[in-house]
Amino acid sequence: MKRFLIPAAVLLLNAVAVPALAAPGTVLRDEKLYSQPSATSSVAGRAAKGSSVNILTKQGGWLRVSSGKSTGWIRLLSVRAGPGGLGGARLGDVVGAATTKSDPSRVVAVAGLRGLNNEDLKRAQFNADELARLDAWVVTPAQARKFASQSGLVAVNVAALPKPVSNAQSKPAQEPSSWEAN
Amino acid sequence: MKIKLIAAALSLAVLSNVAYGFDLGKFLEQQVNQELNKANNTQAKDPAPSTTQSTAAPQPAAKQKIDVKQLGFALFGDYSPEEERRIGKQISGDLLGAVPLVRDEKLQRYVNQVGNWVALQGGRKDVTWHFGVLDTEDINAFAAPGGYVFVTKGLYRLLNNEAELAGVLGHEIAHVTGRHHLKALKQSSLIGALGQVASSKAQSSDQVVQNLIGNGAEIMARGLDKETEFEADRVGMVYAARAGYTPWGLPAVLQDLAGLPAKDSRTSLLTQTHPHPADRLSALGEAVGGRLDAVQGKELADRFYRIR
Repeated sequence: MKRFLIPAAVLLLNAVAVPALAAPGTVLRDEKLYSQPSATSSVAGRAAKGSSVNILTKQGGWLRVSSGKSTGWIRLLSVRAGPGGLGGARLGDVVGAATTKSDPSRVVAVAGLRGLNNEDLKRAQFNADELARLDAWVVTPAQARKFASQSGLVAVNVAALPKPVSNAQSKPAQEPSSWEAN
Repeated sequence: MKIKLIAAALSLAVLSNVAYGFDLGKFLEQQVNQELNKANNTQAKDPAPSTTQSTAAPQPAAKQKIDVKQLGFALFGDYSPEEERRIGKQISGDLLGAVPLVRDEKLQRYVNQVGNWVALQGGRKDVTWHFGVLDTEDINAFAAPGGYVFVTKGLYRLLNNEAELAGVLGHEIAHVTGRHHLKALKQSSLIGALGQVASSKAQSSDQVVQNLIGNGAEIMARGLDKETEFEADRVGMVYAARAGYTPWGLPAVLQDLAGLPAKDSRTSLLTQTHPHPADRLSALGEAVGGRLDAVQGKELADRFYRIR
């Protein structure tokens, strides 16, 4: 019975775009800007790798961006949030997406907080009590399926993603992994 | 053919009690890497036998010994599900010694429900999954062998809906289903086999496992190589999509991470152990292209459990 509701829910979801981002972004590869959030729609412009865009809206796998004079939809994975440019290492201090969220309570003050570090982890002593707590929350597959169906989640077939071939071309030499560097 | 070469090298090594300066270690490491990356097992490149013969034979008394059993395991063995579970349990207990769990039953239960549903798409039936939210503002997530997955409160706070949680958990679940940490451990157990005589003294099994993983939970600070992280992104995104969520949850989280200030101390461990979010988005984009254009899915922002 519930199954009949799913297509309607999907349609509804599709129609809702998330507004109020208006954050700076950097284009990760030469890309087309489409007139609609669909690769079958007409091309409204182009954005070059490394260029800056203004992120206006997000919808599924698409971002509506303005780039210079043109505005259009670009693939979500072709843009990174923040004006920091392409490289990870050169990333400067950026007021990025995390602080532009609509819910102010989610913005956590950075000052005074210290993250986990190697020493914390190295010195850690086995804690059996905490581990037992974890055991108490174990969920069975049957419970998980019930939980999923309560919100109309249905398992679907999605093919595995192949490892991209062109990945190696962007970086001439393979950087040593953090593990190998040890 | 390859097996024969390894066997030859092994017997040589054992008979001659390998000494310093001999490059067997490197040769074996290559072999192990080949074993681990079964993708390119078509041919064995073998400059090794000649070097083996020329350098190994005349060396005098050994300074290092090889534990043949351990070496054999590192080359050909596999951890049993029970061993895997014990390793994961030890790592997780250590990790929880560094950071406790958030005292919020509803939150923890919710994360276990989402996590198990996503994990069901990964097809490992020999695993009992344990999910936990760690009480730290650090922004990170961890996986340990045997189905242990942790998300920090700091990362959880950045999430906007259930699909984003599913994406994050999917990435960690992929580390478990792909046995990524076990593969890294196998590599270090090989180095252990070459570097020291494994003590055959009676030790508690927990101690043996702890020796394998090093001090405390430091293995969690060591990280995996970046190709493995890219793989977990690809697989995790697909797991979330197979579970009926929008595939764009994980990319959305990566976008948020990319937008964080570089010097934010909450992400120092994350950036130490993972490629930069921008590189992860880029690599994921290469893999995805238009492949997921037709995939629909839910975000479930309403059901998402928000922490105080």
